[in-house]
Formats: sequence, structure tokens, C-alpha cells
Amino acid sequence: MSIDINTILMYLLYALVFPGLLFSSVFGLWLAGVDRKVVARMQKRIGPPIMQPTYDFFKLLGKETIIPANAATTTFMLAPYVGLVSLVVLALFIPVGGFQAFGGMADIVVVLYLLTIPSLSIIFGGSASGNPFAGVGVSRSMVAIMAYELPLILVLLAVSKAVSGNGMLTFSLEGITTYQKLNGSLLFDWRLLPAAVAMLLVIPCEVGSHPFDVGEAETEICEGPLVEYSGAPLAVFKLSHAIKMFVMTALFAALFLGGIATGMLWLDIVIALLICTVVTIICMSFLHAITARLKVEQVFKFFWTVVSGLALVSLILVWIGI
Amino acid sequence: MFKKIIENSMAKSPWLFHINAGSCNGCDIELVAVLTPKYDAERLGFKLTGSPRHADIVVVTGPVTAQSKERVIRTIAQVPDPKVIVTLGSCPRSCNVFKGSYSVVGPLDNYVDIDVSIAGCAPKPEAIIDGLALAAAVLKEKRRAK
Repeated sequence: MSIDINTILMYLLYALVFPGLLFSSVFGLWLAGVDRKVVARMQKRIGPPIMQPTYDFFKLLGKETIIPANAATTTFMLAPYVGLVSLVVLALFIPVGGFQAFGGMADIVVVLYLLTIPSLSIIFGGSASGNPFAGVGVSRSMVAIMAYELPLILVLLAVSKAVSGNGMLTFSLEGITTYQKLNGSLLFDWRLLPAAVAMLLVIPCEVGSHPFDVGEAETEICEGPLVEYSGAPLAVFKLSHAIKMFVMTALFAALFLGGIATGMLWLDIVIALLICTVVTIICMSFLHAITARLKVEQVFKFFWTVVSGLALVSLILVWIGI
Repeated sequence: MFKKIIENSMAKSPWLFHINAGSCNGCDIELVAVLTPKYDAERLGFKLTGSPRHADIVVVTGPVTAQSKERVIRTIAQVPDPKVIVTLGSCPRSCNVFKGSYSVVGPLDNYVDIDVSIAGCAPKPEAIIDGLALAAAVLKEKRRAK
């Protein structure tokens, strides 16, 4: 690949504007606003305006940042930014309506690795703050990560096996999108339906939404790892949370509904974003409104039995080639 | 422009932290009633936080007791600036019926500066929403003055 000034400028545009930092922030905050509004409407409340997470973000930027006396200052201050950067990089790899900024360079394995970094950054930041609430939250977050990683990997295996047929496993996201454009979306393949349901349950646990938000339980451990954060670092964590909603729903859209091709790229992208919104409402707002928070061991048990079981059924069905 | 956005966001996203300084629990229940579907303070951006580090508005209830005095002062000191201190009910301003008790060392304004007082024993939810909206406006003013 020859590197000239145009390529660099193009990649900078991808990283900073679309689908990188600016777009994923704006769309993520909008998704978070829709989530809060829909939850409120389901509870017969009027609910905050859709812009509310954006107001929260800017307000937190204007607040004082307090660093606790017994915190490890460097880790404490750097952790939120590491998480944000890895999420923005992740947004570049996930195809949105067939548009992938860094296509062909990476596959699902990179996505899996990058997905762990934001959760790890919360864990590092929390443990660096030296607060006992954060300590409890960190240990709970670790359990949550272990809980959703297994079903997530099973889902990804099932999808890549379905795409590659009898040949070698293809982990390329581009390959998955092209396959769906030729053969129709994987959501309408009955063998992969359990995997899609499993993925819908993995998304709220990964994002840290009800009823799987054991690590950041506000009412019992005061938002866990975030308890000592204030001001700009807290704003960055809230932004990361919003971008994570966008990234995870976009991943679902790419894996299971990537077959939408109208011939016009912008229309494909708009449809993909609409799918993101619908998935957010189904798997986050709806679950949030109808459930109470599970206990830590219940989350673990649920994900390693029910959700992993669903993903495994799909994997077996795909593997024996029905 | 950026400064203006932050100022406007301040008034639209005030997060509450609630301190009980020996209250009889009457005002605390009314504060929670404000967040229920009937009154729904979340439509104005109010949110109850668990940590003083996330708070913008500190809501204090109860006549400050000898046991809680030091904790109240320390908790309020942990809230990042700009912050607004709201007293809920008559107790924090006048000690109400608990005045003269051996264990009550209030009123609160002996120890911290109070920005907004909501009167009543206990105040109606409508009065609480009114007072909190005023507190949000004070928060914006404080940010502007900084």
C-alpha cells in the first residue's frame, strides 16, 4: 500500500468524523437518549428529552475533576481515554450498512480483543481509585465479562461457520457482509435464530444495562468503578458507554442483518442506523423496563447455561450442516 | 460558544445527592415521590446519584444531629464545584420541633452556605420540584460566575 497525503487524509477523516469519533459520539449519545426516553414511556413517565445524555456529557465537562488522595493518579486519569480510543477504533472496523472504514485489514478476532479493552479500562480506572465500592464493582465487572465472553465467541463461531460453508472458517467481517448480500440476511436463516437471540442478550451485558449491570449497580454500590470519578473523566466514561451502545448494535446489524443492499450506500447506512435504534429499543430499553437487576451469580449462571446453550444449538445446527 | 453550551447543559442536567442529617424520613419519602411516574422529575434532567462525586445539587434533610454533623460537612466537601446546597423541609433551617434537643447541633447554615431552602414539614412534591428547578438555575449562575 502506497502512502500518500490523500490516503492519510482519508483515514484521518474516517477516524475523526465518519464513522469515527464525531459520528459515533453523536449517534451513540442519541441512542442513549432514545433508550432513556423509551424506558420512561414504558413506565408511564414523560421522560427526559432525547438530548439528555448530551446535556449530561457537556455538564460533566464543566465540572471540577477531583483526584482522590489514595488514587494511582496516572492510571486513574488515563483509563477513560484508553477505553474511548479503543471504542472509536472498533467503530472503524465494524461495517455500517456495508461501509467499513478499515475493510480487509481485520476480522472478528480483532473486534473481540478491542471489545474487552473498554471493560478493562473501567476495571483499571476503578481499581486505581482506591475506593472500596469500586473494588466490589471491579470484581463484579470481571464476573460479567467472563459471563458474556463465552456466548459471544460461540455466536461469532456459529456465524462464521454458516458463512464459510464447508471450507475454512472465515472470520472476516467483510466476508460475512458479502455473503449476506448474496444469500440474504443471516437473521432469516432459522438455524441462526437462537444465536441471534443469544447476541441480543449479550449486548445489554456488554453495554452494562439492566438487568445485567451488576458492576455499576447504582443503588447498591454507587456505580461501582465510577464512584470516585468526577468531571471530564466521568464525561468520557459516559461517552464510552454511549458509543458502546452504537458499536454493539452495529455489530449485531452487521452479523445478522448485513444483507440489506439497496444499491445506494447512504441509504444502506441510514437503514443500518435504523436497525441499530430498533435493536437498542428491543434489547436494552425493553429489558430495562420489565426487569429488576439480577445478582452476580445469577448473571453468570444465566449466561453460561441459557445464553451459551442458545448459541451452542446454533453452532451445532450449522456445523452438522442441516 | 463552548462555554455557553456547558452553561446551558448545567441547568438541564442537575444530578441530586441526598444526605439524611437525622431526618424523620418524611422529607426523604417526599423527595423520592418527586422521582416517581406521577411527578417524574427526570423530565427536567434530575437524577438521583449514589456518589457525591457525581452530584451537582446536594439535598440535605433533617436537623443536623451531633452524630451526622461531621459526615454532612465532609460529604458536601467531596462534591465537585460548581455545586448547589438545597435544604429540604424546615428542619435544616430551624431544627423545627427538635430544637433544643441535646443531640441536635443544627441549623445547617452554621456550617455550610445554603443556596436554596424548600419550606414545609414535609414539603409538597410540587414545592420540591419548584425548589430544585430554582437550584438548577442557581447552578448555571455559579458556573457563569466562575
